[in-house]
Parts: sequence; C-alpha cells; structure tokens
Amino acid sequence: MKIKTTRFGELEVDKKDIIEFTEGLLGFENLKKFFIVDPGDQTLILWLQSIDDAATALPIIEPKIFQPNYMVKLLPVELNSLSLENLQNASVYTVLTIPQNVTEMSANLKAPIIINNKTKNARQIVLQDSKLEVRFKMYMDLKKYIVNYASDDSKRTNIATPAAREQGPTVVHANTAQATNANKNADTEAN
Amino acid sequence: MLVLTRKLGESIAIDDHIKIVVVQIKGKQVRLGIKAPPETKIHREEVYKAIQDQNTEAAQADLSSITNLANELNKK
Repeated sequence: MKIKTTRFGELEVDKKDIIEFTEGLLGFENLKKFFIVDPGDQTLILWLQSIDDAATALPIIEPKIFQPNYMVKLLPVELNSLSLENLQNASVYTVLTIPQNVTEMSANLKAPIIINNKTKNARQIVLQDSKLEVRFKMYMDLKKYIVNYASDDSKRTNIATPAAREQGPTVVHANTAQATNANKNADTEAN
Repeated sequence: MLVLTRKLGESIAIDDHIKIVVVQIKGKQVRLGIKAPPETKIHREEVYKAIQDQNTEAAQADLSSITNLANELNKK
C-alpha cells in the first residue's frame, strides 16, 4: 500500500512491515500504526513513521550503536505483552530528540521501543532502572562511532542495500533471522 | 476518583497483592511505602510526563535537522 509522508514523500509499504503499537506512544496515544524508514543518510538514524498521520515521524536509533553496554531487562509480564519469550526476536530502538544545537541531541534510554519482529507488535516500555535517563546526551558517542565505522554497515541490524540507498528513503523490512544474527555479531564485537 | 483519608502508618490495599502505606508525613510531603508483586510497574508520574515530552519533541525533528547533524558528525 502507498503511504504519504511529510518528510519522505510517498512510500510503498508492505503490510508485513507495519508495526502496531496497540497502546500508542506516550504523547501520541491515538497513533497506532507505524513503519520504519531508512532515509539512507550516513547518520544511522531511522524514522518511526506514523501511517495514520503523515506529519508524525520520530527519529530512532539502535542503542547498541552509541551505548554498547545498554541492556534492556524486561519483566515477564512485559515480554508477555509483546508475545516474546526473550529479546532474541525483538528489535530495540531509542527515541532521539535533535535540537537546533545538534550536539545537544539525546536518546531516551529510560523508555526504549521494543518491537516483536515476528508479530510486529510494539510498545514503548518504561524500564524500572532509575539510573536510566530520558534524555541521555549521546552526540559524542555517536560521532565516535561514525568516525570509526563510517561506512561499515555490517554493524547495523537493519540496513538498506546500497542500491536501495540511491533511490532515497526505504522501508525497513522485517527480517527476523538476519536481524538476530546481526545482533549477535554486534554483541560480540562490542564486547 | 476514589478519595480516602489515611493517618500515619495506615495503609490501603489494592487488589490482593498491592499495599500502600503512609510512612511519613512532613509538612507538604508524604512518604509512601509500596508493597507489590515484582511484575508491578511503579513510577513517579513525572517519568511519564518526561517521556511524553521527549516523544513530542523528537517528532519535531525534520530532515534539515538531520542534514545539520550529518554535517556536524562528519566533521573530523
């Protein structure tokens, strides 16, 4: 189906790539359906694009990129709510705020977005750990990562192929098996 | 909303497994103790507000903010 977006124009979105937030997102309780766009730039930032509202899209990033030791621990009841047994088949993203002064950018480590890669159900889960920051400043960490691995796409879980990049923004597909492997690799390398 | 009056040391039971105790009253502050099963999520209300604000602010980013960011990130 074709979806109109304010930032990326019209995109063809496969039904299986639609992510459903049954409870919505805090601040956007009415928006339930999203998909992920890879704009194909070099920032490693993806966008959680609303299907219901063309103008609503949140920049997101995999926390492993800038915070290799970040661990999401979910309660059994939270895993159940996403029909997950563990996080092996899940994608984890953090929401980014990017102010005018971009060096002040921050990621929400307190409430990551967890997506079940199989069912495409998702929730923004508020973690109990009180040390986690809602606005974790991570510009320098991201910069360090980008300088070190400027074009090393193997570190990313969900990537557009170089060919797709030339065509501009692409929809990030559900790719359960590969995503899991890529995560494992990222883990090993990060340690 | 159900409103109950409690004295110091008294408590409120919610369902069978959640108990909220008034531990201390000091001026305008009340300290509450909460006993609940481990799967119960307990947060200060401000946490939700902070996350809501963060989400709303995040959604204000557009592609020009990303262009700025990309330029800044790629500076050596």
